[in-house]
Amino acid sequence: MSRLRDHLPLPAEGALISPPEGDATPFEVFIQLLRGKPHVHAGTVDAVDSEMALQFAREHYGQDQACVHIWVVPRSAMLGTDYEHDVIWRSTDRSYKLARGYQVHNRWRQFRSKEDVKEYEKEDLKEHY
Amino acid sequence: MDKLPNELKQPLVELLLSVADDKFILGHRNADWTGLAPILEEDIAFSSLSQDEISHAIAIYQIAAGLVGSTADKLAYARKPDEYLCAELVELSDEFNWAIAVCRNFFCDHHDYLRLGRLAHSSYVPLAQLAGRLVAEEQIHVQHVDMLLKRLGHGDTESRERMQSALDRLAPLATGLLEPTQGIELLEAKGVYPRIEPAMFERWTEDLRHVAEASELKLQLQAPRAEAIGGRRGRHSDAFASLLDELTEVYRLEPEAAW
Repeated sequence: MSRLRDHLPLPAEGALISPPEGDATPFEVFIQLLRGKPHVHAGTVDAVDSEMALQFAREHYGQDQACVHIWVVPRSAMLGTDYEHDVIWRSTDRSYKLARGYQVHNRWRQFRSKEDVKEYEKEDLKEHY
Repeated sequence: MDKLPNELKQPLVELLLSVADDKFILGHRNADWTGLAPILEEDIAFSSLSQDEISHAIAIYQIAAGLVGSTADKLAYARKPDEYLCAELVELSDEFNWAIAVCRNFFCDHHDYLRLGRLAHSSYVPLAQLAGRLVAEEQIHVQHVDMLLKRLGHGDTESRERMQSALDRLAPLATGLLEPTQGIELLEAKGVYPRIEPAMFERWTEDLRHVAEASELKLQLQAPRAEAIGGRRGRHSDAFASLLDELTEVYRLEPEAAW
């Protein structure tokens, strides 16, 4: 940055005739860090259309980390639930639908050790003959 | 070829310096907009793109430095003003006129895109590999600046008039980008800087006019006179000396310092 900025021409008082918010609308940005992985919400940009939003999103959210793909969606096109009125998570006990209580770990360990024994046996046989 | 014949060294170094100097100085000028661009989104995008210009310049200086036994820092900061080979278009201050800033980048980015595209097919392998990566990034710049030109051309009467007057003002300077560096014919003949069909000026004009028309803007470009001598031979505007003086003042405090 140069010292030219010390003598910045500023617009005269009241010279800004367009409203500060302009005609831009919000777009939600989703970035993908690796092909095949899900897109993750990264943030928002204001733009007049999707093409412009995509240009901005590439520079805003695509440069902090390696990024392979970006989606932009006009917020007006998104439908969301209402914090006050829409219940999403049930308050009644529905723990039966969660995959809890299976002793998978022990079974897996048993299976692994059986496989290991088979490998040892193979080695033993090789040494024998 | 992986190794460059001796007679091509000097011409290639001059060509590389012209590319890198354009990007270095343009990146420096554009960086002045950080915090000042018309809207927040564009502010961040414009700063990010000007960082690209600088990083492209570094990469090209490094190749040139390898050919002359120097370093990228020395090439960027330790030459005399008349040893810089940038075009006058990148030197001038845009006076914080957004239309001028956008139009200047419009001319430069389209030109860089063609120039890097040619270098990406260079017979000098290390250069072709680098330019292949850079041209893909330069395409982002072209898309971005075209988007801005179209928006502002289609904006309202004021924005269109501002853009039109900026284009008209910069057009005569912009053709200075096309001034050949010394020995360029040799590089073209040996495929180090492959020719394109139609030739550079026609391609560039066609690309620019295509976007200008889609933006409801008029563009008149005169082919540069063959005998015109300017930035590519080290002749610069008065503004350039003071720009360079400021740009290099920290480096000159302690040239051998490690950063």
